Amino acid sequence: MEIINNYILLATKFIFLLGTLIYFIFALIVVKQTTTLSRSVYDKFNSILIIFSYTHLVFSFFLILLTFIIL
Amino acid sequence: MPRAKDLDTVAPDDFLNSTLKSPLPPRPIKKPQNKKIKHLHQSSNGKSHSAQFRQNVYGILGKTKHPFSSFLVKPKVFNFRERDTDEEIILVLRRHWITNLTWILITLSMIIAPILLTTVPLLESFPPAYQFISIIFWYLITFIYSFEQLLSWYFNVYIITDERVIDIDFNNLLSKNFSEAKISMIQDVTSTIIGVSQTFFNFGNIQIQTAAEVPEITFEKVPNPEIIIKVLGQLRQEEELENIEGRVK
Repeated sequence: MEIINNYILLATKFIFLLGTLIYFIFALIVVKQTTTLSRSVYDKFNSILIIFSYTHLVFSFFLILLTFIIL
Repeated sequence: MPRAKDLDTVAPDDFLNSTLKSPLPPRPIKKPQNKKIKHLHQSSNGKSHSAQFRQNVYGILGKTKHPFSSFLVKPKVFNFRERDTDEEIILVLRRHWITNLTWILITLSMIIAPILLTTVPLLESFPPAYQFISIIFWYLITFIYSFEQLLSWYFNVYIITDERVIDIDFNNLLSKNFSEAKISMIQDVTSTIIGVSQTFFNFGNIQIQTAAEVPEITFEKVPNPEIIIKVLGQLRQEEELENIEGRVK
């Protein structure tokens, strides 16, 4: 029973790692999207949005590290 | 037989004697057409028709109340890539702020969800580390959901300039749609206000029928549709007058 539980946890860890990696790629696309849109349409708050997208990218990277270290 | 009105100048059928020269220097050729156009541009009180029309337009529009407004009159900072050098931005429109209420409520419920989950033992079968990562992941998803919705609202803009009407759409992550129609090409403008919220908050759709390549441009859920229709009417009149006067930018 314990072996099965270990396998389930290993599979969950793998799913978590894969999920965070895919999420990181998604965060990269969001950064690219925000910068592209900001070049097309310029308004007052563009820089704030770009900062938000980069912050999100950094957080998603930390999530990968966290998943790798903690789990 | 046609004769020269000015006796100092020579008519084509005048007999010319090469030895006889006029003591007066030849008069410079006048260009009366330019003066006529200039005169047409001026109204009785000295202001140009164009400036008068523009004054009327800004009179109808009023002023922008705050920078987050979805109804930006003559914005100082706003710009877009396809703008011509001498093009004046008159109005920038976004969807009415109330249309954001749905995703704001969803975001709020997503924020509250993990707190509510503590009452339901859904994640308790997993070790605490997994629970911790799951919650962080959930909040990142919540953030990106609201951020994408904000981007969609912020970058989907409708622009009215002195020359054209523009619709810039960003449908999803990697798709952009740019539609434009010259003001002179506009044939018909219709506004639609449907439902309680649209009537209460005064916003709706505006359909602009054009004779251009894009047959219709729709401004979706924009505030103050009746003001926009008035402004477009004024700009069309200005364009018609420019066409009559023969002014071409």
